[in-house]
Amino acid sequence: MSGLAHYLEDEGLATTIVALVREHIVSMHPPRALWVPFELGRPFAEPDQAALQRRILEAALALLDKPVSSPFLQDFTEQMPYQPSDASWSPPGSLDSRSATAEASSLLPIWQKAQYRVGKTTVGISGLTPDIAVEYIERYHLPDPMPNPKGMAAVSRARFAIDDIKAYYSEAALASGGYPSSHQLHEWFWNHTMAGTMIRDFQDIARLSDDSNLQLISGSLVPAERTYEYS
Amino acid sequence: MVRLIDVPEPERTVITDLQCPTYNQTPFTTPVPARQRHVAIVSTAGLIVRGERPMLSSETGYRSIAASVNDNDILCSHVSTNFDRTGFQQDTNVLLPRDRLLELERDGHIGKAADTHYAFMGATSPVALEDKARELGRSMLALGVNTVVLAPV
Repeated sequence: MSGLAHYLEDEGLATTIVALVREHIVSMHPPRALWVPFELGRPFAEPDQAALQRRILEAALALLDKPVSSPFLQDFTEQMPYQPSDASWSPPGSLDSRSATAEASSLLPIWQKAQYRVGKTTVGISGLTPDIAVEYIERYHLPDPMPNPKGMAAVSRARFAIDDIKAYYSEAALASGGYPSSHQLHEWFWNHTMAGTMIRDFQDIARLSDDSNLQLISGSLVPAERTYEYS
Repeated sequence: MVRLIDVPEPERTVITDLQCPTYNQTPFTTPVPARQRHVAIVSTAGLIVRGERPMLSSETGYRSIAASVNDNDILCSHVSTNFDRTGFQQDTNVLLPRDRLLELERDGHIGKAADTHYAFMGATSPVALEDKARELGRSMLALGVNTVVLAPV
């Protein structure tokens, strides 16, 4: 991010960064940066908090009004508490527990309800539907794996299918409303769903695989603190 | 999860150990007055338009996201486990605040929100991005963009 600022500024564009890792800004000294104290992955804070998002954007753009000639880093001073848990939220219940594929299929109507409620889905990066993505991963290491559609290497397909599965479950978890924290969503997915267990199992097999590409992606499937090794 | 020290291990070490190049000088472009600003957002979330090939780790190119693309068709192909994506799953503006930028245009705080925003793949060596970043810079200037908000992930 800071590197991009150097290059774009050198080409004649004025830049301002919304920064999540203060240490990287201090190290790379881009022209202007606003450090925000939010969770990684949330530079503009919380979903559906338009007023707060706007204040962040305005604060970042306001740095352009300061007559600076040396790198300028400002902290976003608005205090935000650690995202609280939503005690009223509860995860989807009554899922089919016979297999990960069955569980995912039983989640489908709940996910569709969530899609209607939120108005969008971020599932689709693998090109597979959510239930097929689960089956693709579930059978990946079996003697009869699912065929990989053309257009993407099998290992890449697996990596993106796993991300689609995570998005599918997270989105479904919002079907009934509420504002669960990311921690609540991760707790449910990794500790209470068959899909979470399936992905951790997949990661363990991938780590020990003879396939170097599979080994390579094994570190980017499960948050480190939720791997079998750390949990 | 707030400051780096609050990030749980081993993720904290992964982030700390990211290679940051050093730059001897910081280039400065004089910003235009606020109401003349034509602002684009550049994200490093590996955002793509549904149907496009996902960006891969360390990919150095960039993607364009036109204003006409619906939120439902913006996907995040940066699939690192080091950051949360549940916020983006609920609200595109958490990563790409294009609605907020349009509000600033509507209210006269900026001149114009760009018709297109852009995304690189995060966690790619900044040095490896230089050629494409400069190419994008020239392209944006040709479109009249004069100001860029850089949004990390």
